[in-house]
Amino acid sequence: MIVDAGQIALALAFIVSGYVVLASFLGVTRRVPELVVSGRYGLYSVPVLLLVATLALIYAFVNNDFSVKYVAENSSLGMPRAYVWVAFYAGNAGSMLFLGVVFALMAVATVASLRGRLPYTAPYATGVLAIVLTFFLGVMVFLANPFARLAVVPMDGQGINPLLVHFGMFIHPPVQMAGLISVALPFSIAIGALLAGKGGADEWVDLGRIWGMISWVILTLGLLLGAWWAYTILGWGGYWAWDPVENSALMPWLAMTAFVHSIMVQKRRGMFRMWNMVIIIIGFTMAQLGMFINRGGPVPSVHSFAESTMGWLFLMAMAVTLFGSVAAFIWRLDTLRSRGRLESMLSRESGFLAQNVLFLAVAFVTLWGTVYPIFSEVANDVVVTVGRPFFDRVNGPLLLGIVFLMGVGPLLPWRRATPRGLAMTLRIPAITAIATGIGLAILGVRQPAALVAFMTCAIVVAGILHEWHRGAKARRRRDVNPVVAFYNLLMANRPRYGGYVVHLSIIMLVAGATASSFYSTQRDFAMSPGQTETLGRYTFTYTGSRHESYSDREEAYAQFEVFVGDKYVGVMEALRADYPTFNIASTRGAIRSTPLEDFYIVPSEFRDGGEAVFRVLINPMVWWMWASGPLLVLGTLFSLTPHRQPSLASLRIPASAGTARA
Amino acid sequence: MPTAAHPIRRRQPFVGAGFKPVRSVRLRFRFALFRRVPIRALLTASLLLLALACKGGVAGEVPELENRALQLNKTIMCPVCPGESIDQSQNALAVQMRGIVADKLVEGWTEKQVQDFFVERYGPSVLLEPPRSGIDLMAWIIPPLAVLIAGVVMLLVLKWMTKPDPQRSEAEESELTDDERNQYFQRIEAALDTEASRRDERPPA
Repeated sequence: MIVDAGQIALALAFIVSGYVVLASFLGVTRRVPELVVSGRYGLYSVPVLLLVATLALIYAFVNNDFSVKYVAENSSLGMPRAYVWVAFYAGNAGSMLFLGVVFALMAVATVASLRGRLPYTAPYATGVLAIVLTFFLGVMVFLANPFARLAVVPMDGQGINPLLVHFGMFIHPPVQMAGLISVALPFSIAIGALLAGKGGADEWVDLGRIWGMISWVILTLGLLLGAWWAYTILGWGGYWAWDPVENSALMPWLAMTAFVHSIMVQKRRGMFRMWNMVIIIIGFTMAQLGMFINRGGPVPSVHSFAESTMGWLFLMAMAVTLFGSVAAFIWRLDTLRSRGRLESMLSRESGFLAQNVLFLAVAFVTLWGTVYPIFSEVANDVVVTVGRPFFDRVNGPLLLGIVFLMGVGPLLPWRRATPRGLAMTLRIPAITAIATGIGLAILGVRQPAALVAFMTCAIVVAGILHEWHRGAKARRRRDVNPVVAFYNLLMANRPRYGGYVVHLSIIMLVAGATASSFYSTQRDFAMSPGQTETLGRYTFTYTGSRHESYSDREEAYAQFEVFVGDKYVGVMEALRADYPTFNIASTRGAIRSTPLEDFYIVPSEFRDGGEAVFRVLINPMVWWMWASGPLLVLGTLFSLTPHRQPSLASLRIPASAGTARA
Repeated sequence: MPTAAHPIRRRQPFVGAGFKPVRSVRLRFRFALFRRVPIRALLTASLLLLALACKGGVAGEVPELENRALQLNKTIMCPVCPGESIDQSQNALAVQMRGIVADKLVEGWTEKQVQDFFVERYGPSVLLEPPRSGIDLMAWIIPPLAVLIAGVVMLLVLKWMTKPDPQRSEAEESELTDDERNQYFQRIEAALDTEASRRDERPPA
């Protein structure tokens, strides 16, 4: 039987992965190279075994084998076939298997990249990765086995939560899960280097940074896709609600953002060695906390799809990881002394530190707000909710501070800056910001917080563009063509200029978020067919609705003819589907998206007699938020492209400097 | 062939901080232009701007009362839908509660009265932010306090890190003597020259 083969492959993967832990650690501490090598190859075999298990589960889904408990719980005959793929990770056991496969593949890639480059660190890192893998596989084998059978085979399965039946669900959950688990990759490299006593030698930094950025970009994409999914299907016209699960995915992202920046200080200057360890430990702890809150955490959330008591196991794993890595950190503390000395309080280094502190502050506030209801219930016996107004008020200023640093930090020189020099470089960004402010105020943007946010964005953009302009101009002494000069400039320092591209995309995100949270217009309309209403520049006529019945749901499509001013722009169609068995409605807004603003209609209620209630929104600049995603990925990839320069921190000027040239 | 034979191709020697390109005349003029924009004027301008900003509000696309109801909806939880405000939720109870909010505002209730009305029925957890009194004040005080402490600690650490360490600074200075530094610059210059000549390999006219 194919399902049995999956079961066996899963058990084998668990055993092999346990062996990898033992072989790697014993091999490196007892100095048995053969054991280390066998551990490495053992790890290479795990994804193969897990792919077999995955194929077996897919086979069970495709053939509607409801004797498998997991298939019966998450699939049904009436479900669209394409959503079998979603059903695969809609439940607990399946998502664990998915996580296992993805993580095993990424772990193999990590170990393969370490091999040869970091011979001392690699065995420890392999061991750490294998511990994480063994944990997941152990949970699957003993607690949430996707291949568990039912004694009585049901005729039909239960199907999945209808809110998951959306195109975004093909991408958001797997990317988000992969993002959370991928934090383990840079973590294992850092802890591996720490255990090997090489945390102070900066060789681990290059690979730590590369895997850190890969993890960061996956996390970012996961968050963006989640926001996009919420925007198009949850039907409230928003994309971020500071929901506990959103928060729990945001926290590791914040920590990883801090990490990919502070690691640059170690790369360039050989400093912040302890701090980088601390941050990556925080990052992985946050990622585990995220998985815990997602897997049936204690806080109510819109994401309560895969709840189970298993969450507590994740909490325990988190405690063990935290305890273990802090112990390792203290044990190896003496290997982490900085090489360089900080020369000035005002320098790129201190800018990075300030950035890190701000990011961790946002992470702390988010954590505090997320767990406060539990705390209040225990301490005060009163249940309170900590929601969007709280986070907007407390995190808003901190995030603004981060954007400001994003403008100033890159303009600070390494080692030492003078206030005068800083004022000189900040002159153009400051003038641009003020001009932007005045321009926007004239255009009618009059809310102070929004205005300050836009002006801060202007500082960042002006700083980057000015820097590019200056660099390209300096290059033009050699490259006559300005395009060639600009290209050569970008190629000369890819981590830096790739980072600038990412910064620009983040500014797109910030500008979109600011505009849409301060200047969104929203109104509910009760309309009968044929009726016309106006909101802002938009005039829309409700032409009627079309109803379709399915075995599990009732779908209603409402059509509108839409005019912008006097110009006819076409028909828009919004969907509302009611699932009586789940007592859930799922909506899909009709969205006309332009860079200026989104016109968004979502049906909230169809009354008897043809009348219907619609929520109509005009959300400015949301387009920019979704457009920032591809640019962000491009920027990250660009800054990751291999370049042959070694870390400056590991460069030494040879004694024969100057005479070496023949 | 000695380089001096080609006066046109000869590049300005690189002498570290004293290096001044010929084009700096124009640059200096431009910077002087900016120097005349005093920081104080910039600050005044931005303050004026903020004052101007505070006077404005959202343009009224939506009737005042509806807008108030909307803002209020965003502060009230839907009691039966985990983690959603009544503004967000599509649940029937949320629709009903939105109706109550609108009705009460029409009757002339204040925001606070409407919120209290719901708190009486569903408990304090029906509001999306914790109360700012009693023990729940902690929810509000801890974050800014933590940020403040983190900022102070950061400054202290930076100060401690910049404190000259007598042994280390000596070691660092001895790392590079003036002579070595000059050799280093020569090397950079040489590398640039090689690169430049490689690019200029076209035969001279």
